[in-house]
Amino acid sequence: MKRLTRRRDVLRFLITTGGTAAMAPVLSACQPNKGKQNSVPLIISNWPLFIDTDQPGVAGSVRRFEQATGIDVIYREDLNDPDSFFSRIRLPLAMGQPVEQDILIVPNWLASRLIRLNWLEPLPWAQIGNASNLEDSLKKPLWDPKGLYSLPWMVGITGIAYNIKSTGRELNSVDDLFAKELHGRVSFLSMWRDTLGLLMLADGKNITAPTYKDTIPALQRLEQAKTSGQIRSFTGNDYQKDLLVGNLAACVAWAGDVAQLMGENPDLRFVVPKTGGVLTADVMVIPRKADGKREAAQWMNYVYDPINAARIDAATHFISPVKGVKKVFAASSSTAKLIEDPLMFPDKTMANRLHMLGPFSDQDEIAVERQFSKLIAS
Amino acid sequence: MKLPLTRRDLPLLLVAPGVAWLIFFFVLPLLELLRQSWSQPTSRFGLTTTLSPNPDNYMDAFSLAAPLFARSVGIAALATLVGLVVGFPLAWWIVRRGGRWKPLLTGLVVVPFFFSYLVRTIAWTTLLADSGPLMQMVRVLSLGHLLNNLGLLQDGRLLNTTTALVAGLTYNYLPFLILPIIASLGTIDPTLLEAAADLGAHSPRIFLKVVFPLALPGLISGGLLTFIPAMGDVVNSQYLGGVNDRMIGNIIADLVLIQQRFTTAAAISMLLLLLITFFLLMYMRRYGKTGLGAS
Repeated sequence: MKRLTRRRDVLRFLITTGGTAAMAPVLSACQPNKGKQNSVPLIISNWPLFIDTDQPGVAGSVRRFEQATGIDVIYREDLNDPDSFFSRIRLPLAMGQPVEQDILIVPNWLASRLIRLNWLEPLPWAQIGNASNLEDSLKKPLWDPKGLYSLPWMVGITGIAYNIKSTGRELNSVDDLFAKELHGRVSFLSMWRDTLGLLMLADGKNITAPTYKDTIPALQRLEQAKTSGQIRSFTGNDYQKDLLVGNLAACVAWAGDVAQLMGENPDLRFVVPKTGGVLTADVMVIPRKADGKREAAQWMNYVYDPINAARIDAATHFISPVKGVKKVFAASSSTAKLIEDPLMFPDKTMANRLHMLGPFSDQDEIAVERQFSKLIAS
Repeated sequence: MKLPLTRRDLPLLLVAPGVAWLIFFFVLPLLELLRQSWSQPTSRFGLTTTLSPNPDNYMDAFSLAAPLFARSVGIAALATLVGLVVGFPLAWWIVRRGGRWKPLLTGLVVVPFFFSYLVRTIAWTTLLADSGPLMQMVRVLSLGHLLNNLGLLQDGRLLNTTTALVAGLTYNYLPFLILPIIASLGTIDPTLLEAAADLGAHSPRIFLKVVFPLALPGLISGGLLTFIPAMGDVVNSQYLGGVNDRMIGNIIADLVLIQQRFTTAAAISMLLLLLITFFLLMYMRRYGKTGLGAS
């Protein structure tokens, strides 16, 4: 699917919206308790390629937030695989100690686990006025039924990325990943929810209420493909490098990542398979006993301002959970075309093809996790 | 005030820090590992475990890791062998031809250690990439077909293959192998080689009958220093190996980092420890303590 926007359009948009955003420091200066001297550095952990970064002559959202609030931000793109990330934060949180980060941006299923374990702080909603801009469909979601602990950062689509030069043809189905001509040049995500979700959809399963049994055909298919050498690797978010340098012809990937990578390699494509794609939400949460709860609230408030949210979304190409982003894009000729992109603003046809993987029972989740881990680690 | 110590207590005082270090950082963790391997977690993500007499963890460990033990032994042995083939001539050249540059050349062997192990290995992914310099050279020289047939390339690629994994292990552990060989070769009296030649021995015979037996302690030390860590390596297999090249370290890492199954990971670690100890005992039975620091 050809993307409608290029980086220079986004850059133009970032510059043109700078005027509005530039007022933020002035406005914030009028508010109390926002001086640098009163705040702790805000530490955020997030995935790579999940925010607008500094560009020549244009500050990215982190820098703009710092300028607007006087709060120092330590922004880490250290989330490559959520399971590994969980194991890093598990020990201190299980011992009742704080972790370094004030905000974690994690997949919804991980947020759900952290909520169940009581390892999160409820969000200080009173300080996040802009949370009212959250899309209605994402209020009180399945992973946070009371809507107390999380605010969505972005919603992504798991589908297939490919290099048209390497494949020599367009791909449109999960079966293409198992095609003989792509032998040894295909990767799947080591995050089983994304990989199995996509394969289960191809098997015609209902992934909103999944069971271990539903995953068995997908697991068997992966096992065969692994043994035969069809699969080159199972990757975390680091599939991006292999895709860019041509080690992979096709892989399971996220739409927003590929849209950004297309700026560096125009031969890359992303497609939602005809059998459907998996919707994944990444959400902001505050870990228990975090020092910078107040600063975290300011960050959340900042990124839920539709203009700021639009800046992030224009750079990342994911589905923004913030109301008003579409309007902001429409107001600028350089970004108006983004509205037509069904991967950022899914129309009815696209929405019908996208499904969110529902929760497994605890027992089934353990069984799937064990089988998948056995598959990729042995 | 006079301390209630006698001259006989002095050696005890001197070894005390080392003994304390070993107790705290080797014996106690090892006992904890043993305890974990015979325990069950009280909850899925909690930290507490209770001792359990049933061997569930070891059954799990065996079913998960049995094929990986065999594969890890094979890959580590191959990497050690390649290291010996590459390392021995280099060590010989440094000792015999290094002259006044010998200390510098020996130092150069350890230069790779100045950089992070992980960074070095990830750098190799660029070197071995499909469009990387090495594969470009293979294409220019039209060696792809031949190397594919020899099984050195898979689907015309080098990265994510067994070849890349073995090469990475060899590279990363080569200094551990070369340094003991240099030390061993350095102790050989050159007049012994001259005497053998005077008595009519040809170069290959001198090597087999004089050099090799005298260098054996170094070869064994170096071999063990390569083989043992290579067996449990995670990084090379993760970045350079293919999906069918996972080693025992990978399953342990997966159990700890992904599945949070510390008790099963502990059982596999204990089995790995037993396996390596078994190899060492077999070796000592056959060759005594030669090469284990008691030559």
